[in-house]
Amino acid sequence: MEYVRTPSTEIDVTFLKSHFDNSPLGFFMINRCGVIEYFNASAAAIIGFGRADEACGAPVQDIESVINCDLSDCFNAILNGQTFQKKEHRCTNRLGHFAILNVFGSPYRMPTGEIAGVLGIVQDVTDISKRKADLEEAILELSILSQVSEALSSTADLDEVLKIILTGVTANQGLGFNRAFLFLANESGEYAEGQLAVGPRNPDEAGQIWSRLDSQKKTLKELLDDYSERENSSNYTLSSFIAGWRVSLTDDSFFSRAARERCGINIHGKDDLSSTSRDIMTRLNSENLAVVPIVGKGKILGIIAADNRITGKRIISSEVELLQIFANHTAVAIERSRLYDNLLEHTEELEEMNKQLAESQEQIIRVEKMSVIGELTSSIAHELRNPLTVIGGFANLMLSSGGNDSNTEYLNIIISETKRAETVLHHVLDFSKASRTKTQEIDFNRLVVQTSGLLASKTRNRHRTPFMRLASEKLAVWGNPDQLQHALLQFLLAALDEMTDECLMELSTGIHEGMIKFTIGFNGTEESRAKVLKTMKQVFGNSTGTQKLSIIVAGETLRYHGGNYGLESSEEGLPRIYIELPQYKGGQDA
Amino acid sequence: MHRLLIVDDEDHIRKLYKDYLSREGYEVVTAASADEALKIAAEIGLDLVVLDIELEETTGLEVLKKIKEQYPALPVILNSAYSTYKSDFHTWVADAYVVKSSDIVPLKEKIKELVKV
Repeated sequence: MEYVRTPSTEIDVTFLKSHFDNSPLGFFMINRCGVIEYFNASAAAIIGFGRADEACGAPVQDIESVINCDLSDCFNAILNGQTFQKKEHRCTNRLGHFAILNVFGSPYRMPTGEIAGVLGIVQDVTDISKRKADLEEAILELSILSQVSEALSSTADLDEVLKIILTGVTANQGLGFNRAFLFLANESGEYAEGQLAVGPRNPDEAGQIWSRLDSQKKTLKELLDDYSERENSSNYTLSSFIAGWRVSLTDDSFFSRAARERCGINIHGKDDLSSTSRDIMTRLNSENLAVVPIVGKGKILGIIAADNRITGKRIISSEVELLQIFANHTAVAIERSRLYDNLLEHTEELEEMNKQLAESQEQIIRVEKMSVIGELTSSIAHELRNPLTVIGGFANLMLSSGGNDSNTEYLNIIISETKRAETVLHHVLDFSKASRTKTQEIDFNRLVVQTSGLLASKTRNRHRTPFMRLASEKLAVWGNPDQLQHALLQFLLAALDEMTDECLMELSTGIHEGMIKFTIGFNGTEESRAKVLKTMKQVFGNSTGTQKLSIIVAGETLRYHGGNYGLESSEEGLPRIYIELPQYKGGQDA
Repeated sequence: MHRLLIVDDEDHIRKLYKDYLSREGYEVVTAASADEALKIAAEIGLDLVVLDIELEETTGLEVLKKIKEQYPALPVILNSAYSTYKSDFHTWVADAYVVKSSDIVPLKEKIKELVKV
């Protein structure tokens, strides 16, 4: 085809040269016949001509063949007064260089207004476009991280934190990996244990999930906030697939390398891997895996591994870098969650300690009161003992003097009642003596054994030795050992008094609803048990009017120590006395 | 006849023991205070002392100490309403410890035992 140049008088090239030769924008002029009349240096460089005048005289198709931007098609329309523009057009120039161009075309009019040709501008925006793309990617990454950070800040629960993290890794609106696996390191950082995994199990399931998510058109934030999405069954199955799997962080695997070098790794294929690394790839059924360490305060907290098992999309280094940034955020969230857990734990411990302290203070006050009462009763008892000695002593003397018979009966009554009063005094004095001992931690099982030994000596082996079933663990109570021993002894003695010969006493200790429980049970014939139960109800029942003084005092001792007592039936229906005392868990001073 | 000294600040106790033990065949002298007891012990020969611990101006333990210093062979029975003194090692120098009771038989038997020795 032969192109005809229009007469130079129609287009003032000199005018164009004077205005556009040094412009950084590429300028060109095509006459009505489609022949290039003018090309400035910038346009020549963009299209790939060695010099500007090389293009002059060439047909428009020469440019079009390079930039392929529909300019030829629109040529006639421009000559008819329309404009043309093509933005960010991607092409390869005459020298084979990739370029992104903005191309504009408009009619070139003569001073008469007649259209003499097409005036075009070509601008190379390759660098600008690349920077724009980089910027958009950075904004997207920041947006992802921001949304994940926001979701993470909504919870301090470690399980929730981990689920949010992996959802962010796998969500299409997030990092877009197909599957993600999270391993948490142990305290010493020697190994990591499979904790959680997110992703579909197979392509079919992936299709269903992704299609559903696509139709929902949720933002990443909405997706992360959706509890049910994080809890879907495929995630559960994938998690169970790695749950409990321990991976060493000190061997030659890529997990260890990532942990050691504190950087992400992109693993392609299995050929160049160590056998341990190959085993990991095989177990995860993966050909291309991104592995990044989670590091907090210089300490390895875990590993995130992610792949595109379903789509087979190759993982690129920038994705690994983004995953690493993500892992760094994860470290902060994990640290924060653990700190929160520690805080909760310490708060609970403090609350428990405060409670124990309050209970201890109350108990100390009770025991102190008991001590004061002990001193008082001791002094009263001693004051009473002398008059009783005198009354009873003279009655004995009169009786032995052989007075008249009518007085003998009265004297015997005085002697008997004096002895009874002296017995009461004996109990009271035992109690007050016990009150003077300091409070301390007491091994309750030992106390029961010692008291049982005292019982044997007091009863001079008139009864069979009690059968003992003591708790295997140490049972500690806080209090006055003498007072408590006195109280236990009174219960045992009272029980012995009411026991028939056919009965066998059974003693047991244990923990019941946070209290130390001591039981005195009776075994024997049905008749003997019924008899024991009847008398026990009188002695240990609620009606204090029928209780022995010793039991009242012993009961008060137990109450002062925060305990109580009563009658109950065993699982076998046998009657038994129970005594309960608060369990001492340490932390108090004697 | 054996001579006993009863030391107690309570009149009725002194009277009870004197009447009771006299009828048992002992010669009984009594003292209401530590000074009086020590004076009697210095003036007349005694075979045994029954000594209360809680006296008005001093304790029987002071008297016990002085008696044992001056008359080491003289048996002393501590006789108190308090059983707690048994654990006080100062009382261990006494020959016996009998808690006061309307039943005087244990005291009588202890006296009989010590006087024989």
